Amino acid sequence: MTTLLETRYRTVLRLLPAYYRREREEEMVETYLEDLDRDTQDQSRPTLGEVVSIAALAVRSRLGAAGAPRPYVVLGSVTRLFALAAVLLLAASAVVAPVLRLTWSFTRGGAQRRLFLSEFTDHGVLAGTVAVAQWVLPLGWAVAYFALLRDRPRLARLGVLAAALPSLWPLLRSVTDATPLPEPAFVTMLALLAWLPALALCTAHHRDAPPARLPAGTPGLVFMATCVVTGASLVLLPAVSDLVWGPVNCFVVGALGLLLWSVRRTDRGVPGGALALAVLGLLLLAVRVAALYPWLRVPGAAAYIAGGLAQAGALALLTAVLAVAGRRELAAR
Amino acid sequence: MTAKSMTRAAFFVLTALADQPRHGYGILRETEELSGGEVHLRVGTLYGVLDRLTADGLIVLDREEVQQGRLRRYYRLTDDGVAALDAEAERMAAGAGAARRRIAEGRRAAARPAAQDPAGLEPPTAPGLAGGFA
Repeated sequence: MTTLLETRYRTVLRLLPAYYRREREEEMVETYLEDLDRDTQDQSRPTLGEVVSIAALAVRSRLGAAGAPRPYVVLGSVTRLFALAAVLLLAASAVVAPVLRLTWSFTRGGAQRRLFLSEFTDHGVLAGTVAVAQWVLPLGWAVAYFALLRDRPRLARLGVLAAALPSLWPLLRSVTDATPLPEPAFVTMLALLAWLPALALCTAHHRDAPPARLPAGTPGLVFMATCVVTGASLVLLPAVSDLVWGPVNCFVVGALGLLLWSVRRTDRGVPGGALALAVLGLLLLAVRVAALYPWLRVPGAAAYIAGGLAQAGALALLTAVLAVAGRRELAAR
Repeated sequence: MTAKSMTRAAFFVLTALADQPRHGYGILRETEELSGGEVHLRVGTLYGVLDRLTADGLIVLDREEVQQGRLRRYYRLTDDGVAALDAEAERMAAGAGAARRRIAEGRRAAARPAAQDPAGLEPPTAPGLAGGFA
């Protein structure tokens, strides 16, 4: 007769994908229940630690763990490539934007320098600490990028979690200060742009995952090229730039490059590259629209709106093309 | 498993299977006993480790049994599994040996008198290129 504990444990096991349950469920139930007194099984529940271990196994078995069927292998590959591409864009932005800001502030005279330093010194200890953290923590994207490509996933996980933290600050402040959040859609999308890649990296680069590799170039060279595109797009068109301007331009260049490369190459690389970029394109499109929307009826913002609309159009087109290319790539394998 | 270092959990699971095939619960109990209670694997963690070891070819399914209507699968080490466990045990023994030697050297150095006649006045390091000690 099935006990209540067995029923509860089987409910927890439903977190696992169907292929895994077919293979392992009966065995796992036997392992779990063997040592437990049958008379007391109706009074107990699976412990939190047991549930967490099953949840971790569920994530891993869906993201290409050892022995997973092909759809899950592809899902794992797409998630890892999405994380790598997003971390690269965010890393370049996290390095270039502060360098440009520092260069601007310290080469335009004493007034600009004082204005810059006042951000850290004139608003109290807490605000100063937060300002420093918002400058330093995003560098974790760069740490994560290089750590990932040097097979140090643990350091990469720490890097992305630290780097994504500042995106929560406006949301946290709106809760603690009970002040309305300015542009809630944009702030939320920015937080998603940070946390989705961070979570993707943390979950998909598990112990069984293959090491992260770039499709072409060395990590340093690719990072430098991304920094150059980010910096150039900020310097050449400062009137239209915002927080996503540089990353979107890099994405457009990278996506075009991948599409051209995939047309010309004959070998089959890591599966899911086009789909991963399509997912990233969709995320960037959502952030771009959320950034642009509040400005649509503001007079005098025509240049910014035109630049944003051009990016949104390019993102929509490229995302659609990448999704089609990705689907064809999977069908051809 | 050869490219990446072996986790503590994987090491104890392989050790638990070194003498005879065992099923899931048997492995859990054995790892806890072998580690002196330090390694307490959850069922989800155990099956993640078993999946990885199977994929790496270090363990295989030995047999299946049905006990009171429930499925038991017994696993055993492969030749590669024995070799991997042996190599890991050697590596750990070498590390432990090095640690013991260093501790013994440290104790001997601490037991020596701090200053012995003129040698106690000598500088702690040899002179540098410029003849100084900085």
